[in-house]
Amino acid sequence: MRRFTPFLLAFAVSMHAAIAEERTYLAPADFIASVFPQNEPAPKVLWLTNELRREAARILGHEPQQLRQKYWSDGQRTLWILDEVGKEDPITAGFVVKDDRIDQARVLIYRESRGSEIRLPAFLAQFRGAGLAPDGTLSTPIDSISGATLSVNAMVRMSRLALLYDRAALSK
Amino acid sequence: MSLHPSRPMRSLTIASALLLSGALCCFNAFAAEPTLEEKVEILQKELDALKAQLALLTAAKAGTPQATSASASPAIASAAGASEAGSTTIGGYGELAYNKYRNNSAHDNEADMRRFVLFFGHRFTDNLRFVSELEIEHAVVSNEDEGEAEIEQAYLDYRVSDTLNFKAGLFLIPLGLLNETHEPPTYYGVERNEVETRIIPSTWREGGLGVYGEVAPGLRYDVGVTTGFNAAKLDDPSTGFRSAHQELQKSKANDLSMYAALNYRGIPGLHVGGGIFSGNTAQKGASLTDPTAKLLLQGVNARLTLWDLHARYSSGDLDLQALYAKGRLSNADTIAAAILAEQLASDPTATGIAVPKSIYGWYTQAAYHLWKNGDMDLAPFVRYEKFNTQQSVATGFSANPFNDERVVTTGFNFRLHPQVVLKADYQKFKADPTLDRLNLGVGYMF
Repeated sequence: MRRFTPFLLAFAVSMHAAIAEERTYLAPADFIASVFPQNEPAPKVLWLTNELRREAARILGHEPQQLRQKYWSDGQRTLWILDEVGKEDPITAGFVVKDDRIDQARVLIYRESRGSEIRLPAFLAQFRGAGLAPDGTLSTPIDSISGATLSVNAMVRMSRLALLYDRAALSK
Repeated sequence: MSLHPSRPMRSLTIASALLLSGALCCFNAFAAEPTLEEKVEILQKELDALKAQLALLTAAKAGTPQATSASASPAIASAAGASEAGSTTIGGYGELAYNKYRNNSAHDNEADMRRFVLFFGHRFTDNLRFVSELEIEHAVVSNEDEGEAEIEQAYLDYRVSDTLNFKAGLFLIPLGLLNETHEPPTYYGVERNEVETRIIPSTWREGGLGVYGEVAPGLRYDVGVTTGFNAAKLDDPSTGFRSAHQELQKSKANDLSMYAALNYRGIPGLHVGGGIFSGNTAQKGASLTDPTAKLLLQGVNARLTLWDLHARYSSGDLDLQALYAKGRLSNADTIAAAILAEQLASDPTATGIAVPKSIYGWYTQAAYHLWKNGDMDLAPFVRYEKFNTQQSVATGFSANPFNDERVVTTGFNFRLHPQVVLKADYQKFKADPTLDRLNLGVGYMF
């Protein structure tokens, strides 16, 4: 037993350290700060009118969560932090839209037990430059991740929503 | 008959005007700042949603669990960063199939509610959750029917970090591509592929303890100790070792098994991996009643080892998939003798079972997303499978040549929605052509 004591202690310490770790890959506030490092703009509010809610519901397959959507903008880019359920739990993702195209996509908080590969840069890089096609889908195909179909679908839906909201926000 | 020359142009002009006005209308709807009345209405809705959320929180505090659909009820879904502790989720999938055989005299055509599955999950804390899957097969479960009610998964999952997670209970074994991801919209064909049905006995679950996590970005490991097979239950060599798996239904657990799997999904569209499962299947003859038969399996190491290698690559409209699986059972002669002794105890004319010593199978599959419109997606596919569930058998027995089979499946998946699919395909069997059939199916998941 004495032989195993150091290993058990090391295991307990690593467990404690690990438990303290959150499954937040990037805190929403840090994401906003990273996009606007010099001068973080004050948050704005997009009022989801009935027409906009209908469009959003068409993309999401259900009514959007918010009745007003908070966003950040420096006049050229808009930043959106959105939640959407993958299989069981909401995925929190951040999107930056510039010139009607996705400029940046990040998975901020991931709660599902499988499919966390959607947080990897190689997957997220596919969204860069994607816009909204005339039928409301993404203009760029997104290669999926095997075994994470619903999480990938959720990311695609959120990116389409960010593009729709950007269009609505900038046309005010 | 002649058309008025200006009519098409006029129609076009009117259509264009309508489209333009529609577009402007939509644009204005987005562009215009909502009126005061609209803002009041939105705020009223927001207030109602908050009241509903407060009522749920109060109920949860009082001990009444809050149930939310996995994909619905957005009004009570979390705000960014909020905890999901205490939430209960519901999901599910199902499929209906119709099989029309080319040789109707050998097999009856059949329509079947193949599976109806409900998921129930509950998150006790942000790190601890319960996962379950309840399945009804073939629509009706009774003494006179073939239907089955099964618990496919029921386990607790404790997340320590991305690299370390524990699960305990009844869970799916991470072998192959289909076993853990088997919802109908996620695979091609009405029927699940034969290799991951006969060689890897999907949907294959065991009871035990598992550890999993990421050792590098996109590289996932799975290891665990679980219940295993009971070789004395073998009664259908056409399905490999499938008839010996116990599904945690009073599983004989004198011998436990171990598994390990490694999968890489770090590059979009690419998935490569493999897994191995190994354990003694003798179980000290626990399920046998004849003393001679029981004695034969005492102290025997009838180790069954199943392993597989798999790869999937989806890029753009192309979707390629391949898998190889192999199984080997040691001391198959002793198992065959024990099964024969058990059979002879009640039936002197019994001839026993040609217990497989080794089985194998592989397939390749190619699909192409030919047409897309919004969420709709039409993807034709072709799959070639080769498998043998009696590659070698116990001494003194002969393999059934029909168990050395090749199958070509050609058809399409038509997704009406990413989670709803219509399927049609034709399957051609080389060794047993009476199985040639047209399959039609409907599947969903939510």
